[in-house]
Amino acid sequence: MAATRQQGQGFGLFLVGITVTCGGIAEISSGLGKLALAVGLVLMAVSFFRFLSLKPLEGKPALGTQPAASKAVGVLVVVAGWLLVLVGLHMASGVAGRMILALVGLAISLVGVAFVLPAACNKNAIWKA
Amino acid sequence: MMTLRSKFLLLTVALTLSVGIMAHAQASPADTELKSATAAAPTTADLQKGDPGGTATGTINDVPVANPKTGVTVADVANQVGQNKIAVNFVWTLITGFLVMFMQAGFAMVESGLCRVKNANHTYMMNFTVYACGLFAYWIIGFAIQMGGAAGNGNLGGLQPLSGEYAIHFFGKAWGLFGQKGLFLSGHTYDVGVMVIFLFEMVFMDTALTIVTGAAAERWKFLTFCVSSVLMGAFTYPIFGNWAWGGGWLAQLGTNIGLGKGYCDFAGSGVVHAVGGLTALAVALIIGPRIGKFNRDGSSNAILGHDISAVLIGCFILAFGWFGFNPGSTLGASAAGNLRIGSIAVNTMLAGCTGTFGAMLYMWGLKGKPDASMAGNGLLAGLVAITAPSGFVNTIGAAIIGLVAGVLVCVSVAFVESRMKVDDPVGAISVHGTCGLWGVLSVGLFADGTSNYGGAWNGVNGSVTGLFYGDASQLVAQLVGIATLIGFVFTFSFVLNWILDVFLGQRVSAESELAGLDLPEMGQLGYPDFVFQPEPAFLRPDLKGVKAVA
Repeated sequence: MAATRQQGQGFGLFLVGITVTCGGIAEISSGLGKLALAVGLVLMAVSFFRFLSLKPLEGKPALGTQPAASKAVGVLVVVAGWLLVLVGLHMASGVAGRMILALVGLAISLVGVAFVLPAACNKNAIWKA
Repeated sequence: MMTLRSKFLLLTVALTLSVGIMAHAQASPADTELKSATAAAPTTADLQKGDPGGTATGTINDVPVANPKTGVTVADVANQVGQNKIAVNFVWTLITGFLVMFMQAGFAMVESGLCRVKNANHTYMMNFTVYACGLFAYWIIGFAIQMGGAAGNGNLGGLQPLSGEYAIHFFGKAWGLFGQKGLFLSGHTYDVGVMVIFLFEMVFMDTALTIVTGAAAERWKFLTFCVSSVLMGAFTYPIFGNWAWGGGWLAQLGTNIGLGKGYCDFAGSGVVHAVGGLTALAVALIIGPRIGKFNRDGSSNAILGHDISAVLIGCFILAFGWFGFNPGSTLGASAAGNLRIGSIAVNTMLAGCTGTFGAMLYMWGLKGKPDASMAGNGLLAGLVAITAPSGFVNTIGAAIIGLVAGVLVCVSVAFVESRMKVDDPVGAISVHGTCGLWGVLSVGLFADGTSNYGGAWNGVNGSVTGLFYGDASQLVAQLVGIATLIGFVFTFSFVLNWILDVFLGQRVSAESELAGLDLPEMGQLGYPDFVFQPEPAFLRPDLKGVKAVA
């Protein structure tokens, strides 16, 4: 199974949901705005659970499982590097100190992006079978 | 004691003097000249004779007057001059925005040309649909998040309705996080200037979105692509866009902690291209490589595209559109240093030129052939890299930046494929991600301190100056921007698309992928009259791994 009518209907529902949600945010100070926000979020949630119910019908993709824990570790490494850069702006007051901390933080993030996450995502890749 | 007659005489003299002074004030030299010019201007009868030389059309008679009884005044002329400045800037910004919009056609041709014929319709449709998905998302909320606190641009009349930046206070300073005005372009943002900036920023946003479709081509489920694009246009792009261009915390690095002029990204190597390229990497990691791309030993197979002519024509369309991208980012052609548009346009051309040479010579020298697709990617790499520094560097700097980008894209494509084992059919991660980051960095190196856009940038007086011209702190600001692109934008995109993978599934079934996505996903072949040739053995479904899941 590929693209279906149910998918199209679900996407339409998602668009209505996000539009109503944003309408609610735009008028959040009023009671009607708060109601619209709640309704919009419910519609989006319904559309997502509809997508979830359709997913098993679509056939298996040529993709091995990607271990969630390994991917989470990769994400944490990437974020840790960024946070070091931000903290470094306040830890160091001089340009040289800030530059060194920025480069170290950047290197950590790049290791996460270029090595840790790809290794996690390719751990059970089908081409290895 | 003064008699009644004397008082009357004194009052008469005073009144006469007052009237005389008023009359003198009204008949100032400027007013006299304006009246003379009005009298000398061609009459209706003169204009009825025709004006083949164009010397009689456009005179003082075309200046709108506030009061027809007094005729044209200095105030009328001054108002018209101000409106002309804004009009020139509106027209400039809109036309360059139209050029950027046309880049969508270039992206569609490049990406489809680099994909196999069985996926042509699907790839074209993604590039087509992303325009609607992005535009809609940006209208309902994305623009408000990005530009909802960006008031103060004098080129477009001030944009005062956009005055709602939400900020947090940290270490005694206010740091902008997101805008709040402009959802649905309603309320006070129903404003002529806001409409112009919306159009211009929208087409930039859509460029970022369409980059992702290239890296995920030939296996991205159309439904998930649609939802992912809406969310990227609504949140991912606008958040970073606000931090860099909407008055957010990256732009405030200069005013708040003295890092150069804050994070500087003239036309979007970071905001547009790196955001698109890093999101492309996030999706490509989750979605996995195409069937047959990698062998069991980890070596890769080349999966050739179906139309190199479409690729190269598409590259030219993109290069043409880039004249909107970079020079248009002045947001005006009149006042505030905007005459630098000529320099920006030349820098753009030059970097594309040297980028082409960089990639072509690298491939020719190392691989033996001047690879056409990589030459095209070299052009794009040079253009991507010069996007951030185009407004701040001289032509020598632009040429070097483009040349480095041309080589870098070749090295990056090899690294992404051979070391990271990420399948990117069109090289989008390298062209836009890697070279986008290089472009951001190059501002901190090559900015020559000669640009002057109204005397300040990001609220800091002076010109943007890089390390090679004496300001190391600008390089630190750029590094913080790069770290944020990788640490925040990539992570945000990865987690968002991971969630979508759980609920929707990012990838089509193996069965659909092998058949080609045109029929299963689109219901129609891109080229129904073509006779498909059998694919190479490594792309056939009798592979062990594929058989196991199909």
